[in-house]
Amino acid sequence: MKKAIKSLLASTLLAVSVSAAAETKVGYIYVGPKSDYGYNYAQDQGRLYLEENMDDVETLYFENIPENADVQRVMERMIRSGVEVIFPTSYGYLDHALKVAEKYPDVRFAHSGGLKTSDNLMTYFAEIDQAMYLAGIAAGMTTKTDKLGFIAAHPIPQVLRNINAFNRGARSVNPDVTTAVIWTSGWSDPSKESEAASALIDDGADVLTGHVDSPINYVQVAEERGVYSVGYHADASKFAPKGWLTGAIWNWGPMMVGIVKSTQDGTFKPQHLRGDLLTNAAQLSDFGDAVSDEAIAEVTDRQRMIREGDYQVWAGPIFDQDGTVLVAEGETMTLEETEKMDFLVEGVIGRLR
Amino acid sequence: MELITTEILALLFAALRSATPVLAVVLGEIMTQRSGIINLGVEGQMLVGAMTGFAVTATTGDPWLGVLAACGAGMLLSLVHAALVLGCQANQIASGVAVMILGGGLSAFYGIPYVGEKINSFGSFKGSAVADLPVIGEFLAALTPTILVTLVSIPLISIFLYRTIAGLHWRSVGESAGITRNLGHSPVPYQFAAIVFGGLMSGFAGAALAVDYTSNWVEYMTSGRGLVAVGLVIVARWNPWYALPAALLFGVSESLNLRLQSWCVDISPYLLATLPYLIPLVVLMLSFRGLKAGGGGMPKGLKAVFQGN
Repeated sequence: MKKAIKSLLASTLLAVSVSAAAETKVGYIYVGPKSDYGYNYAQDQGRLYLEENMDDVETLYFENIPENADVQRVMERMIRSGVEVIFPTSYGYLDHALKVAEKYPDVRFAHSGGLKTSDNLMTYFAEIDQAMYLAGIAAGMTTKTDKLGFIAAHPIPQVLRNINAFNRGARSVNPDVTTAVIWTSGWSDPSKESEAASALIDDGADVLTGHVDSPINYVQVAEERGVYSVGYHADASKFAPKGWLTGAIWNWGPMMVGIVKSTQDGTFKPQHLRGDLLTNAAQLSDFGDAVSDEAIAEVTDRQRMIREGDYQVWAGPIFDQDGTVLVAEGETMTLEETEKMDFLVEGVIGRLR
Repeated sequence: MELITTEILALLFAALRSATPVLAVVLGEIMTQRSGIINLGVEGQMLVGAMTGFAVTATTGDPWLGVLAACGAGMLLSLVHAALVLGCQANQIASGVAVMILGGGLSAFYGIPYVGEKINSFGSFKGSAVADLPVIGEFLAALTPTILVTLVSIPLISIFLYRTIAGLHWRSVGESAGITRNLGHSPVPYQFAAIVFGGLMSGFAGAALAVDYTSNWVEYMTSGRGLVAVGLVIVARWNPWYALPAALLFGVSESLNLRLQSWCVDISPYLLATLPYLIPLVVLMLSFRGLKAGGGGMPKGLKAVFQGN
């Protein structure tokens, strides 16, 4: 009897350890709250997609982790609890992740947006400026004043790419369009963002978009003042049932599934994985009622061309604000050049420095 | 010409909108400092008010309940400052900083479930009966409830402070708690009331920001406006009537920072971003030039806080 119980116990233990071995534990670290309706929200949607689409994966996450040595402690805590794959999702986590990665060579890291790798650390990101370009087309065909407004946090390459892409998209269908930029000097300052939105509308802008942590503020002001809005990071259409056009949003799920699978079957490579409209890692949200059928057709058509490689967002000629040629006709900016962008294009109103 | 008038009017309304939360804090802090107590914790009290106001509005659907709850939350947190300063004789600056950090952390933590929620706020008076009033109707229509409440509180506070016996005691406590004591009054009830009133006003200011102005809650959304308000108390010379121009100074500079950019004025955005701090500083220096040391209306009781005697 005793023996029977022992073997029963042993087999149960075995069963537990087998199922534990089959489960891959994946850890996520966010710099802000996962419900910020912006960058972190989008990353967390990727985590939920991963849980839904892979049976053998268990996820856990930490929110509001600052970009300092704290994040190293969080990663080590995750590793001690059995996490094998870590997604440090904020730009400033990169160097900390590299340090922890060196200490734990068996753990895999996938950092969001970085430009460094090590043996067990890769990066992933997506060219969301392609989606901003398409949203610009919708904005250019909707505006009646030919004035668009852009609320921007800081003049870093990622933000400049979005401003320029949005403006170029709009001008590709409506050459009279200008895009006025207001810098708020902060990723999240609701009061300034609302006031910047009011200022742009007072100056005649009738489509607003932006690149700050969350689109909620400017989208709400636009709706209240009866103008249109284009979202960024995440779908904020519920805040503007009347004026919402579309939004450039992230779709990290499929990419994250691919990364986790590569860690399971041993194909993980320390690479810079970049998604785009084709892989759907960056995409347009659903269109709002305010977008005309004509505009939808134009956007859809251009989206197909970009996906099939027949059209490049950063193909020349590209002019700077005073009309000087930056990229000649027939040339196209490389990915590396766009990731270091430091100019505003013709048609953008605002100063860089 | 008409265009310029519209632009200037738009700028003034923008200034009033962004000045209102700061103005409410300035008024509360003037009352606190008039009793000889300085409270740097207003920043944290504002955040707790903003979070509570937003959460209650999101849950109940009633922005007025949200504003009331925000006032209560600001008062509750200010009790910490009152307990430390009046109960334990703690250093006022240290206690204020503690309250500021506590409020930031508490509001960030308890506010997490409300980030990204949509609330139904007041909206402006456009289209309501108020807008049909003669002469002032058009002006009022551009305002929102918290702006009006804050503006109305200026004369009320001034009347209390300068025209009532309680106000006289309040001011004399701030000038010299010792003399008040010799006259047979305890300064503590006045100082307690002054701290809690500051809590009420900064909680209200938080609601003005989160419930009325932006209809949004984001952690640390005050971005230092509470501390700016403490500085503006000096610009306002501890006088509630001067609180409005002092707060407007900040409001105008902040709106100018954003509007000059959209007017394509050829100044670096980095320099423009310093306007909300540079302009009040310059005005402070100019307006205090030639005043004797300790002038400018500072309650004498505050000297002890700064000079340690």
